[in-house]
Amino acid sequence: MEKKEVIVEVKHMDKRFGSTVALNDVSITVRRGEILGLIGENGSGKSTVTSIIAGMQKADGGEMLYEGREWHPSSMINALENGIGMIVQETGTVPGITVAENIFLGEIEQFKKGVINRKQMMRKAGEILDSIGASHIKPQMITGALDLQDRKLIEIAKVMSKNPQILVVDETTTALSQIGRDIIYKIMEKMKEENKAVVFISHDLDEIMNVCDSLTVLRDGKIIVTFAKEEFNEDLIKTSMIGRELQGDYYRSDYDGRYDSEVVLEVQDGNLGDQLIDFNLQLHRGEILGIGGLSHCGMHALGKVLFGAEHMAKGKVLCHGQMVKDEAFAMKNRIGYVAKDRDVESLCLNASIKDNIAAGGLDQFAVSRFLILPGREKAYVQKQIDGLSIKCQEMNQYVSALSGGNKQKVVFGKWIGRGSEILILDCPTRGVDIGVKQAMYQLMYQMKKEGKSIVIISEEMAELIGMVDRLVVMKDGRISKEFERSNTLSESDIIQYMI
Amino acid sequence: MSKEKIKKQIMNLAPVVGLLLLYGVFMIMGTVKDINIAYGMKAIINQSIVVAVVATGAIFIYTLGSFDISLGASVATSALLGGIVYNATGSLLCMFLANIGVAVFISLFNSILASVFNLPVFVTTIAMLSVLNALVLVLIKVNGTGSEIAVPAEAVKALDTTGFKVLILVLFLVLCIFVFNFTKIGRMQKMLGGNEICARLTGISGKKMAIIGFAMAGIGVGLGAFVSTIYAPTLTKNTASSVGMDVIIAIVFGGMPVSGGARSKITAAVIGAFSMTFLGQIMTLMNFNSGIGQMVKAVIFILVVFVATFNQRSKMLPR
Repeated sequence: MEKKEVIVEVKHMDKRFGSTVALNDVSITVRRGEILGLIGENGSGKSTVTSIIAGMQKADGGEMLYEGREWHPSSMINALENGIGMIVQETGTVPGITVAENIFLGEIEQFKKGVINRKQMMRKAGEILDSIGASHIKPQMITGALDLQDRKLIEIAKVMSKNPQILVVDETTTALSQIGRDIIYKIMEKMKEENKAVVFISHDLDEIMNVCDSLTVLRDGKIIVTFAKEEFNEDLIKTSMIGRELQGDYYRSDYDGRYDSEVVLEVQDGNLGDQLIDFNLQLHRGEILGIGGLSHCGMHALGKVLFGAEHMAKGKVLCHGQMVKDEAFAMKNRIGYVAKDRDVESLCLNASIKDNIAAGGLDQFAVSRFLILPGREKAYVQKQIDGLSIKCQEMNQYVSALSGGNKQKVVFGKWIGRGSEILILDCPTRGVDIGVKQAMYQLMYQMKKEGKSIVIISEEMAELIGMVDRLVVMKDGRISKEFERSNTLSESDIIQYMI
Repeated sequence: MSKEKIKKQIMNLAPVVGLLLLYGVFMIMGTVKDINIAYGMKAIINQSIVVAVVATGAIFIYTLGSFDISLGASVATSALLGGIVYNATGSLLCMFLANIGVAVFISLFNSILASVFNLPVFVTTIAMLSVLNALVLVLIKVNGTGSEIAVPAEAVKALDTTGFKVLILVLFLVLCIFVFNFTKIGRMQKMLGGNEICARLTGISGKKMAIIGFAMAGIGVGLGAFVSTIYAPTLTKNTASSVGMDVIIAIVFGGMPVSGGARSKITAAVIGAFSMTFLGQIMTLMNFNSGIGQMVKAVIFILVVFVATFNQRSKMLPR
């Protein structure tokens, strides 16, 4: 096969964070007209190497060449100005300002003629949003009022407005619905056609195999192998990623969708704007209930309503027959909630692993539910770290320094540690590698077998089909279809009721 | 030990090292200038204690990521009403209870008002600052000589000892350390300051925690008013006039993160209050006038905030 022109070359790169080796002698070649996939478990070094290319941080050793010249970007802004743009895994927008101000953050001077010409700035922002297919986002909107997907699209618009030669997409698509994903796929295809390059990081193996021309696997900071498109093989890639064959089941293997008849949580005649309309739902003891649909169908609001974090205009949520008034009531009744927007809603990033896990279980380890004894607190947190195999240097490490999968494990630890009997999981495996995903699925299955009840809200059909006893499909705030667990259920059966 | 851990330790120890350094400079300069060191230390303790006590309570507010600009005015109001109560009853216990009661009431009123109108607490404290300043003038006019309210010096003389004042500070500090580090309240407050949304979704009530935080701050203000009255029983409109600003500076000097959250620490208040007083004394020994002294404090304040937040900003800006 004809080798295309090299645009970026990383040679023997090393990077350490304290005692952790993030990159060890990593060499990568990015070529024009290609989409290079990077895949590996959480903490394997994918984001580290791309963030160094994109100027977010510096390497400890090695060499980088960009278009044949030595490449030492001083910042992400510097890299973007020179043609390398990156869309980061987590939120990269400022919430309290308008969409247009976010797009032109740091560059507002260009609209200054004495005072800022806001009209011109809004018009230009609108054009950029149109060009990436995000016309539904208005430039004058306050960014904080938008959902995760739209905020991600704003970041994409900001990067694309600079017409980059290389685009790094770091684990972005899992935050997006199919519509959002299609926008990114189109951008990536267009860049490829224009003889530019894309580096694409994703934990979704199907997606990465579909989209990429070649695929590099990283593990523990080292390059394991690079596959050309014609060599793509799902099992081989998985084995390369985790260094062994995946043992046991990925999803649950049984098709026994039975559960207890006792209703543990229910919504009665719920109404919440256009998110929930005359909505009724029951969750039973020992049931894994799946909620699927498009991003704006109301399912994410439903998760909050079930936890008492959002109040409906009409209707009620009952847990064992008692009204769920607020989050504190929900927790008292052993309900746990893993939010979709992990960094904003589920974690305090500037706090330690210990602080985050302990916050969920204060009433569990505190003496007389009030007094905190450091020894008991540490033992409680250590149990969760060990039980969930959270990769960390120590429990006092800041959560912000953890990889996506390990952050999610901390969130799980917060809720599992306190012995939650009902778990509401909104996109629980977003940004999580297959090894961690498998562990989470097996944990959910184990909880079901222990008689606990789980609601999985997800945009990943395979996950829902693979895990749930009963699947409720939502469309425009209503239930459009309900499926029982079956080995014949397919994604196409479900999708027709979502759209 | 990793580089990051060493950096973290250095940042943690910096305020204590700063305090020791200032103490060292004061001792050297005091010796060189041949001043009475023991007397100077006593003066430093007297000056620091009111700010240290008020700041210790105020840490509970700062941890929530909020701040109260009316603390100084609250100390003055509480002291004046305490003075009026003493003059009416002749009982120091009644004065003490009035100091605490008035301060806690003002503090709670601030937080409840913010809660009712759904406003950031610091907004209501700005309004409260004006109200309390006016109230101080009214109280002096109606209940005093027109320019002061005086508690007889003999009545408080027995308590005006360094030991007693230090005892009050130590007892309150121990109480606050206990509540902050060894009860659910401290953990919840830190979580709220770190991420309000996450805290709410972990069942932590922001309103309840704000009320507890302001109540603790109120106790600190009440104690500050009591100590202030013991030290200077003639209460005027200038009583505790600089306390409000001194508390803010002391808390930052002591290494408290300006945004609150998980890295908040009670001891920052005491370390900061004493550091600030040492700095003031050193400048006096250097014959700086008070205007220059204030300017130096302001510059150091900005430097401390700059250094403390540098790491965070350098990480955020490229994004």
